[in-house]
Amino acid sequence: MTEPLLSVHDLSMVYLRRAGLFGRRAQPIRALNGVNFTVGAGETLGIVGESGCGKSTLARCLLRLLRPSGGGIQFDGEDLLALKNEDMRMMRQRMQMVLQNPFSSLNPRLNGFELVAEPLRTHTMMSRKEMVDRVVTLLAEVGLSAEFMSRHPHQLSGGQAQRIALARALALNPDFIVLDEPTSALDVSVQAQIINLLLGLQRQRGLTYLFITHDLSVVQHISDRIAVMYLGKIVEETSSEAIFANPQHPYTQALLSSTPVPDPAAKRQRIILPGSVPSATNPPAGCAFHTRCPQVMDICRMRYPASRLVARNHRVSCHLYEESA
Amino acid sequence: MTILAIENLHVEFSTPFGAVYAIRGIDFTLAKGDILGLVGETGCGKSVTGRSIMRLLDDNARITGGRIVFEDVDLLRLTDADMHDIRGNRIAMIFQDPATALNPLFTIGEQIMDVLRAHQSNGHGGLKVRAMRLLADVGLPDPAQMMNVYPHQLSGGQQQRAMIALSLAADPDVIIADEPTTALDVTIQAQILDLLRKLQRERAISVLLITHDLGIVAETCQQVVVLYAGRVVEKGAVEAIFASPQHPYTRGLLAALPRPGSRGSDLQVIAGTVPSGLERIAGCAFAPRCDYVMDICRRQQPALSFINSAHVSACYLHEMPKDD
Repeated sequence: MTEPLLSVHDLSMVYLRRAGLFGRRAQPIRALNGVNFTVGAGETLGIVGESGCGKSTLARCLLRLLRPSGGGIQFDGEDLLALKNEDMRMMRQRMQMVLQNPFSSLNPRLNGFELVAEPLRTHTMMSRKEMVDRVVTLLAEVGLSAEFMSRHPHQLSGGQAQRIALARALALNPDFIVLDEPTSALDVSVQAQIINLLLGLQRQRGLTYLFITHDLSVVQHISDRIAVMYLGKIVEETSSEAIFANPQHPYTQALLSSTPVPDPAAKRQRIILPGSVPSATNPPAGCAFHTRCPQVMDICRMRYPASRLVARNHRVSCHLYEESA
Repeated sequence: MTILAIENLHVEFSTPFGAVYAIRGIDFTLAKGDILGLVGETGCGKSVTGRSIMRLLDDNARITGGRIVFEDVDLLRLTDADMHDIRGNRIAMIFQDPATALNPLFTIGEQIMDVLRAHQSNGHGGLKVRAMRLLADVGLPDPAQMMNVYPHQLSGGQQQRAMIALSLAADPDVIIADEPTTALDVTIQAQILDLLRKLQRERAISVLLITHDLGIVAETCQQVVVLYAGRVVEKGAVEAIFASPQHPYTRGLLAALPRPGSRGSDLQVIAGTVPSGLERIAGCAFAPRCDYVMDICRRQQPALSFINSAHVSACYLHEMPKDD
């Protein structure tokens, strides 16, 4: 394999939450706790997890919209955390992000042309004429006609607004796009259109995606590899096929069995986890999943399991597999 | 046995742009002890149907036709006072966002005891004991302590459990659950769906489950009604409809879902968009987006026709002679 486009090692992010009278007590929240992964050029890595697992914090750290508290991020050989602000601004031309709700990420006062042309205006010296041509091309690429240049966000459906957000992200020809729940707010039939569009754009432009979602059926459709996160850590990472065929971590197994399948004839064993995700202000000792794990052992409460390779390209952090190793 | 029947219901909203036809004549029945899934995409009228049954529609909405029959009584003809008795006592509703449905100023215990007091539902023991039993029934840990907490101290899943306990306080026959798990994580969603199935099994409660998620319908419901643009396009037993969907819209919806094994391939899409509620629709509402559209589809609305005794669908294709 060639050098990965993006590699993340031991990334951690601690927020300080002000608590108490006048915020004098500061409570640390460990949103990311030693995250490691790589994404190859042209590849899609899916990040799956429930609320509070740190997946959106991860997205923000990658684009340095947040300063991570520790660890490193390498993008195309550059150490992102060492870049000066101006150099990082240039680097963001190559790294873009699309968010879940286009109506809150798109400025409601701007029309389609202004929204898509904004990155061109701030990063290039294009003339107005060049910009119009470029915007028309970009809109066509996301399946919208030129008439959308004069529409404002409130005149768009959810799917159309998400297409505008994509055209805007594509404006500077990025290599890498972070997609943070891009289809979660959409109806099933529209979700299918946006997924197809994302797959097509990737084929044509050779894009690299980091696809963040809570929806396992969507993520397996679009990703080459999937990383499952729980409370700030990646607990399992492998190919999209292996996650479904052969999930190893008890959390991944529970997540899969909790995802409703549109087939009443499918007789599946249901694993229903007790309780909910513990707070990141006070994470449990040892493996953070031990409070809900159906297969918990004594050691899980004391020590965090190291990440083990259980098969080719299949990493799991769980004491069940340390025993047998 | 039918406990709740919706007959030819029509609902309109008056807006500055004119009348919006939210429900354009729908019929279905909820059998006693069943979970019936009411499924469709944004704007199909599924939530309006739930609110119509409870008579909790906004001021600009008007029920322009039809009947809602609960145990031989047309709810639309009841006085406000009589409807008030039905609501809560006989039919309860739970919502997508429990945080807005629970009162933030009172403890969970106070809210449940309030309902128990108001409805004087028959039960043994004092109010407090009965409230704690309800909290235990919905699977909340440490009911004695739960009695004294405020809604904001609970997680989303716990709030939804508290909401369900509250709706059970009056011992209703029917629960209308409007997207009860949409705001929750999947592992918590699994817990709440499991709880709904348990209530159905142990208390013989009938549930109208309003959802956009076909997976939830397949795993939780016995019957399903598929809505499109305020009309029923297909309904029947869940096994029958998922095994052999007949209406092109239902087929399209199921085909648009990503499934294991299909990685990287293009998903099937339904071209076009849902018609606006402002339009009057002469023919089949799905005709402009349908791959099999015929002349008659644009002129005249297809009636529901029987596929078999457990399955009906509104499409002219079913009236065509079959080739095979």
